[in-house]
Amino acid sequence: MAGNDVALMAHLMRRAGFGASYDELERRAAAGYEATVEELLNPGNQPRLEMDVLERRFVDWREMNALEVNQAFWTYAMINTQRPLEEKIALFWHGIFCTGNSKCEHGRQIKLQIDMFREHGLGSFRDLLLGLSSDPSMIFYLDNCMSHKDAINENWGRELLELFSMGVGMDGEANYSEDDVKECARAFTGWTITNAIPRYPYGRYEAGFIYNPADHDEENKTFLGETGNFNGDDIVDLIARQPATARFISRHMYNFFVADDVQVPAWQNTPPRDMETIKMLEDEYFRSGFNIGSMLRVLFNSDAFKNARFTKVKSPAEAVIGTMRVVKDFTSPRPGLNNLAANIRYMGQDLMNPPTVEGWHTGGEWIDSGTLVERINFAADQVGNLDLPGVQDMVARVGSQGAATAEQVVDRCLELLGAYELADDTREQLIAHVGRGGDLVPGSAEFSQRVGQTLQLIVSTQEYQFA
Amino acid sequence: MTTTRFAGITLQPSHTIGRAEFSGPGFRNPVAMVRGDEDTMYVVSRSYDYRPDGKRVTICTIDEDYIGEFARGVTTAGEGDPSDADGSLIWPTAIARDAAGNVYVADEWLNRISKFDADGAYISKWGTPGSGDGEIGSPSGLAIDQDDNLLLVDCDNHRVQKFTKDGQYISQFGSKGDGDGQFNMPWGITVDRNGDIYIADWRNDRIQKFDRNGNFLMKFGTSGSGDGQLDRPTGVAVDKDGNIYVTDWGNDRLQVFSADGDFLTQTNGDATLSKWGKEKLDANSEMWQERDIAQGLERERLFWGPIAVTVDDDDNVFVVESARSRIQIYRRQVPVFFGGRL
Repeated sequence: MAGNDVALMAHLMRRAGFGASYDELERRAAAGYEATVEELLNPGNQPRLEMDVLERRFVDWREMNALEVNQAFWTYAMINTQRPLEEKIALFWHGIFCTGNSKCEHGRQIKLQIDMFREHGLGSFRDLLLGLSSDPSMIFYLDNCMSHKDAINENWGRELLELFSMGVGMDGEANYSEDDVKECARAFTGWTITNAIPRYPYGRYEAGFIYNPADHDEENKTFLGETGNFNGDDIVDLIARQPATARFISRHMYNFFVADDVQVPAWQNTPPRDMETIKMLEDEYFRSGFNIGSMLRVLFNSDAFKNARFTKVKSPAEAVIGTMRVVKDFTSPRPGLNNLAANIRYMGQDLMNPPTVEGWHTGGEWIDSGTLVERINFAADQVGNLDLPGVQDMVARVGSQGAATAEQVVDRCLELLGAYELADDTREQLIAHVGRGGDLVPGSAEFSQRVGQTLQLIVSTQEYQFA
Repeated sequence: MTTTRFAGITLQPSHTIGRAEFSGPGFRNPVAMVRGDEDTMYVVSRSYDYRPDGKRVTICTIDEDYIGEFARGVTTAGEGDPSDADGSLIWPTAIARDAAGNVYVADEWLNRISKFDADGAYISKWGTPGSGDGEIGSPSGLAIDQDDNLLLVDCDNHRVQKFTKDGQYISQFGSKGDGDGQFNMPWGITVDRNGDIYIADWRNDRIQKFDRNGNFLMKFGTSGSGDGQLDRPTGVAVDKDGNIYVTDWGNDRLQVFSADGDFLTQTNGDATLSKWGKEKLDANSEMWQERDIAQGLERERLFWGPIAVTVDDDDNVFVVESARSRIQIYRRQVPVFFGGRL
């Protein structure tokens, strides 16, 4: 057994990606942990998806207008990407910079925003915030196109501060005032979008960002204690320099990549779960010039991260994609992708269509009696399907060392799924159950079925819901 | 004196037909068409995977009169589930019509050819997945040759196979590669008046021409976006004078080449509002007002996903656009002075 190297790699790939098959874990472990971190942080060195072939088979992807089509694409991309952190960071920002199809009704426009997260998500937070401020779907979602120099709409200005950059407060203090919200909104007047082409008869076209100087408030504003004739990009510069921004991004990063913490509304009065790690991230934020990739490099190489195995409840996207990457289905185009993608929604995460601008609550709040059943049924259906190549690989590996005791089968299955660990009593019960069928002799149909059942039992445990 | 380089051909925009619909007048992600008798035509809609109800063949006229539709994707299954029942479609790609007026529709997921009569009544099916003689892997193009046999572009096997109309294997040519007579995921096909065969060699970014026996004759096109260059050509058609029309999918344009493969002209699209489109807007009148203030409306003229091209005997050129659910029709004009007044 490759042991701890593979277990640590499984942890890294679950967090910085969406999990990996055992052969990929072995390959990456052989390449080394730090080398893998560097590969993940430089996705541009890895090949993209072959979009020409994909648009040929999924003909509707050329247009990609409907929400469901975009969800199918994103699901496919998360399963098959060779740039896992590029997809993971896009999901990270999507959970913070929420934009919903329920209002925009144009999946392609939101997909372009996700593309922007793919491109800039590991770069400068300032650049990312500027990209978000000029993103047409965000401008429409938070009504900045309805904010005018003589009649501001505060929606964008408020959420930019409250949910996208600084947060309401930290260490028991408020981070900004109501006046700051208004001044922020004034600075962003004139940041608007083109009038849309109606959806009939040929389908929607994407809107474009426009800066309209005639509708921009040119008077002085006082924002976070500084006064000047600020425009939107000045506001972004000021926000990026705030300690509160460093704290806010660091806490999000910790909650997404390291361990579940309290939800955002509690951050003003509840200190971080691990202040030392948050401090480390804040320092790197300023040292690197607001660089997200640099923060993640420090984080992934830290002991705090490496020791945080199974301290996070998987999000629905992680639950579905992580299982698919192990069973190796949908590795090439085929019908049924929409039905697969819908499972993420059934588990409570309607990608590109979050419930509110606040996004999804995470951690234990992903789980209720309904979503738990969805998770277990989904994962058990997949790993119990002996026709899937990834399941066949696992069966073959379990049997590769000859006849096995029930204990060996259970432990090998745990390892192959991604070095999972069970509570002692759960593991004992599992071994007792698997042992009831007598000796496990590789090569028979019965052996395959019993290994498949063992995998099903493991993915039905509480432990499998954690990443 | 003003002189203009002789281009050999002029494309005059005629009109646009279609609108985005999952049923009735309109198409949804159309991928192929073939002309029928008189002014009729058959249009294959691929639709979205999650809307199999939009998969169908529409019969309509060039002047956009709706006649009917058949081969619905949900003939037996419920909404959301594609059906492989006889006569239904999952991933349709191509359509051809024989001398008797029967139509053949290829399905690249089912590896199946379905045969219907001119009115859309189901007749039969054939197709065996695989790579052996007569077996097929993702059929992507169909054409009827001069002997009324069926030529099938066998995408995943990188070859062209000839069958009788009932699916009896006759012959094949091509293999995987980028040499003369080799293919990389070929797509569209057409047969000219001499019986010669043209293939859109999709991932090699070129068109290849063969004689009726599959002997290589010529090729043209290199990867790129300049005049005469191609980015994943999908469809190919030849007019009665031998000019070659290519839907240049990745470049969102139509290019026209001489019979020798020399670049003649190109267009990025000239769509107008279709008859069905105007009817839809009339039924949603606020959209007329939205169009009045829309910015960038000129984009509506441009091709988006040109995926198939057909030329009929009357010099109408049809360009099917998968991403806009419509067909742009051009008239080919020959630049010959006919003696009218200046």
